[in-house]
Amino acid sequence: MTTGTPTSSTPGSGTRETTVGIGAGAATELGTSDMVLNIGPQHPSTHGVLRIKLRLDGELITAAEPVVGYMHRGAEKLFEARDYRQIVMLANRHDWLSAFANELGVVLGVERMLGMEVPVRATWTRTLLAELNRVLNHLMFLGSYPLELGGITPVFHAFHEREQLQAVMEEASGGRMHYMFNRVGGLKEDLPAGWYGRVRAAVASVRSRMDVFDDLVLGNDIFRARTRDVGVLAAALVHAYGVSGPIARASGVDFDLRRDEPYLAYPELADVLKVVTRQEGDCLARFECLLEQAHNSLDLADACLDRLAGLEPGPINTRLPKVLKAPEGHTYTWTENPLGVNGYYLVSRGDKTPWRMKLRSASYNNIQVLGELLPGTLVADMVAILGSLFFVVGDIDK
Amino acid sequence: MPPLPSGSVGPTGHTEHTGHTGQSHQRGSGHSGRSGGSGGFPGRGLAKGLAVTLRTMTRRSVTDQYPDAQPELPPRSRGVIALLEENCTVCMLCARECPDWCIYIDSHKETLPAAEPNARARTRNVLDRFAIDFSLCMYCGICIEVCPFDALFWSPEFEYAETDILELTHEREKLREWMWTVPPPPALDPAAEEPKEIAAARKAADKLAAADAAAEAAAAAAQESAGTTPPPGGEEPAP
Repeated sequence: MTTGTPTSSTPGSGTRETTVGIGAGAATELGTSDMVLNIGPQHPSTHGVLRIKLRLDGELITAAEPVVGYMHRGAEKLFEARDYRQIVMLANRHDWLSAFANELGVVLGVERMLGMEVPVRATWTRTLLAELNRVLNHLMFLGSYPLELGGITPVFHAFHEREQLQAVMEEASGGRMHYMFNRVGGLKEDLPAGWYGRVRAAVASVRSRMDVFDDLVLGNDIFRARTRDVGVLAAALVHAYGVSGPIARASGVDFDLRRDEPYLAYPELADVLKVVTRQEGDCLARFECLLEQAHNSLDLADACLDRLAGLEPGPINTRLPKVLKAPEGHTYTWTENPLGVNGYYLVSRGDKTPWRMKLRSASYNNIQVLGELLPGTLVADMVAILGSLFFVVGDIDK
Repeated sequence: MPPLPSGSVGPTGHTEHTGHTGQSHQRGSGHSGRSGGSGGFPGRGLAKGLAVTLRTMTRRSVTDQYPDAQPELPPRSRGVIALLEENCTVCMLCARECPDWCIYIDSHKETLPAAEPNARARTRNVLDRFAIDFSLCMYCGICIEVCPFDALFWSPEFEYAETDILELTHEREKLREWMWTVPPPPALDPAAEEPKEIAAARKAADKLAAADAAAEAAAAAAQESAGTTPPPGGEEPAP
């Protein structure tokens, strides 16, 4: 107990019991007092350096305050001193599990400012890579969430599947996490011969093993007992805090930019794209959303491959001027990243660097709702709730 | 901070949430889908999970025995940057474009004596130092992309961890050594445009072939006009 020094009662005196103490708890019948507990910034269950200040009454959380910024790297300020190719390098690092999707928002914004037409092969390949990136991201959380709840097996399965997708990503881009494959006007370079075939094989292989998560995790009685009806997030809170992505959809908020404001090739994938929603809003629903979304992303990847096979040969990028300058003006580009809405507000004054580039990252908003979600729950459920918000600390702290 | 009265937040939240450990199976009937836990006999979910485990046990392990077995990396893999210093003209583009300025280049100008008596003496840049600090490098590959003279390349080599961070600054000799590990680039997808080099070579070859053909045609025409070998069934050349 940190606050208050409840030296309650004097046992053994026999004559009279006095309650001496400071703080609210000392005066109550149980004689407990509030305790402030810091979860993080170095705590094994917080993946990264998120700090949460909990106020506890016994095991019950009475208040929670997420303290962010321990990994703030000033990404927005750094954007202002980088040209649009260098920004791609920085942008794919704030959410290191959604690197491709992060790059995408930057180049889509600059392309829109320039009024640039992107080759059709580039658009479809970008869509394919974005969906593969989504699967990679979701597999990470499908594996790490059970890990936080005490089941270590699923993460090995998840990493096995991730490895196959990472292999094709690395073959195309040279990187396993920070792909650096987007350029204004298309992709960095064309794909190696036979790559599309290997992607198809990798997608098929991953799909054939996705039932592991259905059977091993989702069907597990212990997992369900720990997640069902825990951390119920109301749709009103989703709207109030700007929560997005699979977390919002698990609370019945049917919003997905791929369908509601389609970019890339998503308008033509409307019949394959399935926006996964749940109504319960609890940890289990969030996990279900993530899992089903990963299934759907594999289908989308296959649909992209089908379309790419029928496309005419052509370029995959656009010839750029030596010094690329976005015209004066501003634009807001938002994309449906694996973890939610990721937006870039790009203000250009016609220089080769942006004058300002505001980053709206999904995890930052998603994590704020913890202050509402945690009070009233037990410490034991805190880890379940925290893990089910599927965040990347770099995406929070930027 | 003022401590909250313990009863103010607790009861409402508490009664709502603490039931899950004991009562979750009765209350949460809303979840549907692929789950196996809620339906069927008790413990069915665990049994299905164990079936997955058993199935996995019969499979071969996928673990790569890394230090003993080297991974097979694709040619584009971004492991380390190699320098072909013979190609470097000290144009400084790589050092300027590097997003975190981790390339260090020193050079001096050298005056070459005039090749011909009337020509001016030429100056050229000589590379004194070329170093990449891999403790700063973000492995984005922009330097390699901007190099106009093909002096920088990616190599998939990755085993250059050091115990002293200063050792991660690779000087030109070390960077030159990495050149021996640079793999040839992969062939491109059939739907891709030709690589620039092939397109340029094809253009040159086409030009040469056209010139050859023109010369041949001219020679043939000259022969014809001389009337030595009139082509069978051919027309008389116009006067």
